[in-house]
Amino acid sequence: MSKTAFRLNVNGQDYEVLVEPRKLLSDVIRDDIGLTGTHVGCEHGVCGACTVLIEGKPQRSCLVFAIQARGQSIRTIEDVADENGDYSTLQQMLHEEHGLQCGFCTPGIVLTMEAFLKSNPDPSEEEIREALSGNLCRCTGYQNIVKAVQKTILRGHEEDKEIASL
Amino acid sequence: MNQTNDKTAFLNAGKTLLRKEDRRLLTGHGRFTDDIHVVGELHACFVRSTYPHAKISALNTAEASAAPGVITIVTAEDLSEWTTTLRLAPPIEGLLPIEMTALPKDKVRFYGDLIACVIATDRYLAEDAAELVIVEYEPLEAVTGMFAAMEEDAPLVDEELGSNMISHQSFETKSIQKIMKAADRIVESTFATARQTHLPIETRGCIAEWDEGSQHLTMHIGNQAPHPFRSVLAGRLKLRESQVTIVVPDVGGGFGQKIALYREELIVAALARHLKRPVRWREDRMENMLASSHAREDFARTRAAVDSNGRIIGLMLELIEDFGAYCFYPANYLARVVAMILTGPYDIGEYAYDVKVVLTNKCGNGPMRAPMAITSWIMDGTIDNIARELELDPVQVRRLNMLADSAYPHTMATGETMEDINPGTALEKGLESIDYKNFRKRQLDDRTRGVYRGIGICSVVESTTYGSKFYKAAGIPGSGHECAWVKVDPSGEVRASAGVMSTGQGYETAFSQAVAEGLGVDPKDVAIKLGNTDVAPYGMGSRGARGATAGGGTVYLAAAAVREKALAIAAKLLGLNSADHLSIQEGRVCWFFDGKIQETELTLSDIARTAYLDPTSLPDGMEPGLEVTKAYDPPPMTYSNSCHFCEVVVEVNSGIVKIERYLVVENCGNVLSTQIVEGQQLGAISMGLSGSMFEHMIYDESGYNQTGLLSEYMMATASELPEIEIISVATPNRRTPIGLKGMAEGGVMGSIGAVSNAVSDALAPFSVVIDSHPISPLSLRQKLRKSH
Repeated sequence: MSKTAFRLNVNGQDYEVLVEPRKLLSDVIRDDIGLTGTHVGCEHGVCGACTVLIEGKPQRSCLVFAIQARGQSIRTIEDVADENGDYSTLQQMLHEEHGLQCGFCTPGIVLTMEAFLKSNPDPSEEEIREALSGNLCRCTGYQNIVKAVQKTILRGHEEDKEIASL
Repeated sequence: MNQTNDKTAFLNAGKTLLRKEDRRLLTGHGRFTDDIHVVGELHACFVRSTYPHAKISALNTAEASAAPGVITIVTAEDLSEWTTTLRLAPPIEGLLPIEMTALPKDKVRFYGDLIACVIATDRYLAEDAAELVIVEYEPLEAVTGMFAAMEEDAPLVDEELGSNMISHQSFETKSIQKIMKAADRIVESTFATARQTHLPIETRGCIAEWDEGSQHLTMHIGNQAPHPFRSVLAGRLKLRESQVTIVVPDVGGGFGQKIALYREELIVAALARHLKRPVRWREDRMENMLASSHAREDFARTRAAVDSNGRIIGLMLELIEDFGAYCFYPANYLARVVAMILTGPYDIGEYAYDVKVVLTNKCGNGPMRAPMAITSWIMDGTIDNIARELELDPVQVRRLNMLADSAYPHTMATGETMEDINPGTALEKGLESIDYKNFRKRQLDDRTRGVYRGIGICSVVESTTYGSKFYKAAGIPGSGHECAWVKVDPSGEVRASAGVMSTGQGYETAFSQAVAEGLGVDPKDVAIKLGNTDVAPYGMGSRGARGATAGGGTVYLAAAAVREKALAIAAKLLGLNSADHLSIQEGRVCWFFDGKIQETELTLSDIARTAYLDPTSLPDGMEPGLEVTKAYDPPPMTYSNSCHFCEVVVEVNSGIVKIERYLVVENCGNVLSTQIVEGQQLGAISMGLSGSMFEHMIYDESGYNQTGLLSEYMMATASELPEIEIISVATPNRRTPIGLKGMAEGGVMGSIGAVSNAVSDALAPFSVVIDSHPISPLSLRQKLRKSH
């Protein structure tokens, strides 16, 4: 199969890639662009480990051909902490609440939950669990991930209050 | 141990230290096997059997070999030149010896079995070519059930054995037969766990690099036991052990699936050497589901002789395990432990077991987090059946049969000695916390409203650590010792290593705490180096809940030995006769006198500098340097215990089980890292709940696996699993460093039993008893329909 050259925008940066049109976005992000934080767990769209944000929406990068993502903005786990390496609130809470063990599913969970909290800033526990149900974790039993998400929300409320009181 | 193991005596162990591993894993900078690339690497893809059992009559690789990017395609014949045959023949009574080649020569034994290996320049091209390999099969009848496998005219999985029953072991106490015959009442119960798989979210994979110049193989692979893995790999490649280095990067979960040397990894290594080029392989999810390693699928039957009060006077266990088609472990390895520790916290002096392990045309079994998982369900499920038949309260039957906490150490009928556990306390504490007293009334009230609520209790005595003496006594080959080193560099930097390897358990954090405790430094200042066999000392790896006691315990002992040497140097430098009143705290030498602590000007860095760079200032006869390597063989077994309580509501119209409350009372001794231990407990309980409620590797009658996708093999998501409450009633182990025990498997044992017993309790009005898994809505509806 012949290769096609195209441009992908990942984490705000343009990358020229030359790959077969059948090559999965997950493989191109990992092998051609070299961002290996996006993990491949099943290659059939169930486990959620390879989740990236495309135009802000969580997508399974193993179900998308890289060429389909041309011209769209892609965000991966490497772009969640800020340029100084400081955690996002969610990352900080996952750290504090022991919301990860082997860490293989973690990038997908962070991106899924970052996007979820943006669209639903005050979810119930059931809604959090529902939103998380597309990401499989074999280590934690999810409890501490849910706790971390709840604490992230709480932290957000506290910050809102601080801003309001100014 | 000399110390009292009183928890309060420890400064660093038993605290929460936020995990050191987290930063790289949270920011996408972890380094897993598949993140590593080597210049010039080739990609392996395996051709696999599309039949459950068949002779390979012809293999045509011509078209595939000519496909783009293909370097070579190798078959059994090629591999037999480069690798030796595995012979597993430990001298265990009742266990048949087996042999296994790198690739099957003439027949395939299960759907997904290996046939050939394609090597190409690109993974996509390797997969394309694998599809072009033409295999002609002569199908054979498959044997797909454990009972069918034991029939006389059953097709043979391994003709060499002459039987499918690969292992048969039994035991009985002197009077058990007489007691069973004379008993007024015998309560019979059966239990069946479904076939499951480990399902680490990172599948298996490896990269093999052959250095032709130095004739050296480096293998990057996610593995739980790098040294034993290296020994086997070197042997099967006909290399010396010193010619092989195993490098384990971050591992995305193991759960027992990443211990053995599997055939794929052997083949990849052999090909790297043969081609003199790096070769990489990553298992895809379907390969992982169909052909990596399976687990469980046990059937158990107990016969309990009881008196009218429900007191068990004799117990017989019959256990059969379906081991699949290949043995990467001695086949008795898993089931035997169930039989040995079954009676657990109960006072049952007369006991017998009969354990059979059979081969079938399915993917081979391996130890999965709690290989003895079914144990506590069998025992507490039997107790519940006794209560049901005698119309007694199940708690009353537990209390009647349970050993008093003061009775420990107690030796079971099988000769296993349990000590430093408190099952009675755990049971009572849990009953109080869950308000059992009022539960029965709530249950009755709910029933009148058509709400079927149940409670399940499961006491667990968890075998952990497995010292060498246990292996010897159980007739299982292997050692239970572990090895560690601790080094203080001339700069004062502290490093430590051990032979165990983390697959997510946070050893870098917990072992830092062990070093901190032993040496007297801040755990943040300790670097833990694991997984590289050229760096780590030879140890037995991670399995059997041995990470803390064997791994952390040995690290602690090595650190304590370093401290001893450091203090001897300190005494000399301070002009003291002895180090008796000295200690190190947070890296500074302190002087204890009259109950007061006084800091000296001396730090660990000063001592290290002297040890390495000014050896003539050392005490007479002391060798330069500041490092210690220590080996430690833990007790035969360190027992932990817990009691699990699960409250469910079953929707009888849909068969859906809702877990309304889950509580566990735990005694896993003193711990290294509190938060990590709780995380392990949550994970283990979740794996048990997921396994017993949803997971099922389904083979149809012809032997085809119907569950090759994650959408077919159900694993619990966040929506299905409950919030779990943990209460600790820990007592330290008296023999181990820091009073440590293990704990990462008991959660599986307890949750399997607790949820099963809870559903049976909820459905008592329908006389439905859970005797098989998974407890899926479908299976519950079937049972409920039959009950009408």
